[in-house]
Order: sequence, then structure tokens, then C-alpha cells
Amino acid sequence: MGIIVAITICDSIVTGPLKDFFQRLIAFLPNLLGALIIFFLGLVLGWIFKKIIMKIATLLNTDRFCSTIGITEACAKVGIKGQPSHLLGRIFYWLVVVIVTIIALYALKVPAIENLLERFLIYLPNLFIAVLLIIVGYLLGNFLGRATLIASVNAGIQFAAFLARGVKALVFVFAFAMALEQLGIGRNMVIVAFTILFSGIVLALALAFGLGGKDIAKDYLEKRLKKEEEEKKDDIQHL
Amino acid sequence: MPQKPAILSKDTRKRLREIKEVDILVGIPSYNNARTIGHVVKAVEAGLSKYFSNYKAIVVNSDGGSTDGTRDVVQNTTIDQDSILVDHKAEQFHKIAIPYRGIPGKGSAFRTVFEIAKDLHVRACAVVDSDLRSITPEWIELLIKPILEEGYDYVAPYYHRHKYDGTITNSIVYPLTRALYGKKIRQPIGGDFGFSGRLAAFYLTKDVWESDVARFGIDIWMTTTAVANAFQVCQAFLGAKIHDAKDPGADLSAMLYQVVSSVFRLMEEYASVWTRDGESGSVPTFGFMYAVGLEPIHVNLDGMIEKFRLGVKELSTLYESLMPGNLLQLLGTIAEGSRERFSLSDDAWVKIIYHFALACHHKVMSQEHILKSLTPLYLGKVASFVIETWESTAEEVEQRLENLCLAFERGKPYLIERWEEKRYS
Repeated sequence: MGIIVAITICDSIVTGPLKDFFQRLIAFLPNLLGALIIFFLGLVLGWIFKKIIMKIATLLNTDRFCSTIGITEACAKVGIKGQPSHLLGRIFYWLVVVIVTIIALYALKVPAIENLLERFLIYLPNLFIAVLLIIVGYLLGNFLGRATLIASVNAGIQFAAFLARGVKALVFVFAFAMALEQLGIGRNMVIVAFTILFSGIVLALALAFGLGGKDIAKDYLEKRLKKEEEEKKDDIQHL
Repeated sequence: MPQKPAILSKDTRKRLREIKEVDILVGIPSYNNARTIGHVVKAVEAGLSKYFSNYKAIVVNSDGGSTDGTRDVVQNTTIDQDSILVDHKAEQFHKIAIPYRGIPGKGSAFRTVFEIAKDLHVRACAVVDSDLRSITPEWIELLIKPILEEGYDYVAPYYHRHKYDGTITNSIVYPLTRALYGKKIRQPIGGDFGFSGRLAAFYLTKDVWESDVARFGIDIWMTTTAVANAFQVCQAFLGAKIHDAKDPGADLSAMLYQVVSSVFRLMEEYASVWTRDGESGSVPTFGFMYAVGLEPIHVNLDGMIEKFRLGVKELSTLYESLMPGNLLQLLGTIAEGSRERFSLSDDAWVKIIYHFALACHHKVMSQEHILKSLTPLYLGKVASFVIETWESTAEEVEQRLENLCLAFERGKPYLIERWEEKRYS
């Protein structure tokens, strides 16, 4: 009698859950297998995609174009080395890998993972746009900063580097603010902070030139005008 | 395949069909030059009457849409043939003044001239600027005769200019073009040229008319194309070149960018030509040479040195991607030195130019940024040149330029070696 009771207890406490577990595991295995197949197929697909994109980019002369507009240089500065066509191939490879990983995770049919993925997928486009905004802002800031520096030096402006850094920072801050707004982080706070910062800079400059730096501004303008007059005395014909 | 828009209008084509054929064509590109073009047209007509009275000729004004009546001035300008002492009155030559089509620029104006030359089976052409004040009828003789009678395909102008005029030509374009292509053409971007009908037709085969060649840089393009494609080249001494003052507000860095980028672009196209070894040789020069007086001119030496110093200080990070460390160090030393001892040697200047060419070739950054950052260094070289030659005569200055050219030629292997490298470092 005691033995029968023990077996029954053992069955309900140990064997039952184990059976249940193995049944569930067996039911889950096809999903897992499906997910693994999708994932590995995705890796192969990603590799094929990478090769195709690299080939197209090479045919379209992307490396030369990126080099001309300064993308290669900007990438090198932040430690991303190699040809832009290869980089593009790698980006597409990882994009395919991320997509197939998501599909594979869906194929597991686990409610908790499904919930998490849904939330992630809704947020993903915002994240993508935000990253893109920061990259474009960084490249544009560098390009415009350098253009400002060269133009200011050629115009004989003594604080050329300061001016260039200002332009670069302004473009980057603007892009960063846009990215934060895209992510919905402190939406109003970012706009207000940016407005205050920008207005503050303008007001500070106005005060500096109008009141505080009246004499400096006067001296500067006088020097500029005098210099322009002197420059007019240059009779050299460069062409 | 979409059809390309016609370069010449139906009316012009009709007019050309009526004319059928001419021997000589003189083209005058213009844009709002009503004030000066009358004199140029008179000189051209007098030149044709005086020296080519037995030939059929046409004067073509290729205009960029002037609003000041430039084309009317061209049409209404005539010369009194008795006043130019000719024995045989010339046949009445043809004259057309038409607006050119395409991108606004001197290159598009020239393209129209080439098209007309091709249509009329012209034997010899000349193009002269519409703002010239020193043009004489002899210019037409000197630009046309080497083609008609000596069998040349291209006649470059040779002017005597003030020792401090044309400093971009003297310090960059002339020595560089000479070192690269081996021809001592003193004014490769002179603006007034003679060329054969054969060469005009060759120019038209080139697909450059939607590029910067159409906007600017046609002068160096014509010279380099003729030399690099082994056409027979000579130069004609035209005396002094005096033209309407350029816009004083014109930005030097933009001007430098336009000229130097044109030369560098041609280096890409003709790399297989100039990377071959060979020393430079003279080209035959026609015309009676005489010296031109040197009037004192104002030079803002302090301004130039100040801009050089500012450039070396502020653009040092940018220069690091363009030039080697030892050259940057040398520039730093010059910038920190006193004004009295300010000197940028020829060898250093050659290296600067070659490294800028290499940076453009290897696309280190935007070409416009590279070339506009050359401005302070160019001003430094001009300042150094002025200090060195302040007391020199025109002949001594010419000898000084010869030394610079030789430095460019000596440095050519250095350029070739780095040009062919896959990466720029």
C-alpha cells in the first residue's frame, strides 16, 4: 500500500511534470528547428545580398563618389576603415541577419518573445531614422565646418578656427536634437532647450558686439575696412 | 536614345548653307562687352582685310545673352578700308552675331565657333577675347598665318606682360604644363588662340560640353588637348596684352580653384601621356619680339604674408592630410620667421603643387576644399617671388621663372612615383 502511494506521489510530482516537459519540448522542437533553419538560411541570404550589393556599388563607382563628398574620410576619422562599397555590403548583411533573426524568433511562437519583438519593431524605424540623422549631421557638420574654415582663412579672418568649430557644433547639435525628437525622448524639453540655447547665442553675440565689446567691434570693423582699402592697392593680376 | 539639342539654330544653319564654305573664321566670345567689342571687331576686320584679302572669311560673335547690345555693336561695326592702307580691297567678309546654346560660359561660346568652323569647312580659325584693348590687325595675321602657310594646328599666344601680371600662370600653370607635357608654351591660358579646322573638328569629338570645360577652363583644355594629342603647336608673339580690368571683387580662391582644377582634371585624362619620361622642348615662336616697359605697381606684400601665416596656422590639420610632415614643418618655420627673411623656395613650392595634385588624384577630400586651401600657400609663393624680384628687370624675372620651371621638371619623377600608388599616404 505504502509502495503504491509512493509511486503515485512520485508520478504526480516527478514523472508527471517531466512527461509534461518532454511533451512540450517535443511540441516545441519543430518550432526551434524551423527557427534555426530560418536563421541559417538568413545567414546565407545575407552573404549573397552582401556580395550583390558590393558588386552593384562597385559598378556605380560608389567608392569614388563617397571619397569625393567626404564620407570615406569621415568614416576613417571615427575608425571605420575600408572601402565604402564593402561597408555597404556589410551593412546590408547585418540588416538581413537582424530581419531573419526577428523572423526566427517569431517562428519560436513564444508569447513573451512575441510581445517584446512587437514593441521593438514599432520602435525600430524611429531608431533607424535617429541613427541616420546623427550620421548625416556628423558628416554635414564636418563638411560645412571645413568649408567655413577655408573660406574664413582666405578672407583673412583671424578667428577662423573658432567660426568653423561653431558651425560644426551647431549642425551637429541640430542633428542630435532632431534625432532625440525622433526617438521621442523629452520631445518638448529638447525643442525648448535648443530654442533657449540658440536664442542665447544670438543674444550673447548681439550684447557682446552692441554693448560689452563695443570698442572691440569698432576696432575690428575699422581694421577690416582699413585692410580692405589696403588690399585695393594691390595691383597684381593673378590671371 | 534621346537626341541631343542642336548647337546651332535653324536660322544659323540656313545662313551657313548660304555661305557654304570659307577659309578663315575668327570667333569672338562675348557677354555684355558692348563697351569694348567694337574695337576688337574693327581690329579683326582690319586684320582680315590687310593680310587675308584673297581668302573668304567670316567673323562669328558667339554671345552669352548680353543685355547691353553687344551683338548690335558687332553687327554695326565696320572699318574704313582706305584707312588701313591695303592695296587690294578685301572681299566683303561675312559676319554673324548669335547667342550660343548650352551651359553659360566661354567653353560653350567656343563650341558654337567650332561647330560653325566644321560646317563651313574652315581651314584656319582664331579666337580673341572681346575685352581686349591692345589687339591690333597683326594679331589676326600672327594667329592665322602659321596655320594657313606653315601647317601648324595650334597657335598659342605669347604676350609680354608686367612681371607681376598673370601670377597664377607664372607660378603654377606654365611650369606645371611644361613639366607634364614637355612643351614650352609660355601662355597656356592666354585666351587668344589660332587653330586649324582639323583641330576644331577634333575638339568637337570630345565629350566635355556639359562639364566645367564649358563653364571655365576652356583655354587650358584647348592647349593641353592639342599638345597631348600630338597636334603641331607653335606660339605667336602678340606684344602687350591689355584688357578690361577683371572684377576687383572676384574671389582669388575661386579663381585659383577654377584654373588649377582644370589643369588637374586634364592630368587625369592624359596621365598616360605625361607619365612618360621626357624633357621639355621649345616650340617655334612667330612674330617680332620686343620688350614691354615695367610701370611701378602697388603690391600688398604684408597682406599676402599675413594670409600665408594665417593659413599655415589655421589649416595645419587639413594640410596634414595633403602634404608630408617635413613639408609642413618647413611651412611652419617660414610662417614663424621674420618678414625680411620670408622665402618659399622653388623646390618646396613644386612639392606643394605636386602634393595637391596627388591629393586630388587620390580623392583625399572634396576637390574644392583641397584647392581652395591652396590660396594662402599660393599667396606665400607670390610674396616670396615679389621680394626676390623687386629690383629685377623683365628679362631677369623670366630667367627666374625658367629656374622654377626646371624645378618642376626635376620634381616630375617624384610626382609620377606617387601618382601610380594605389593609396595616398
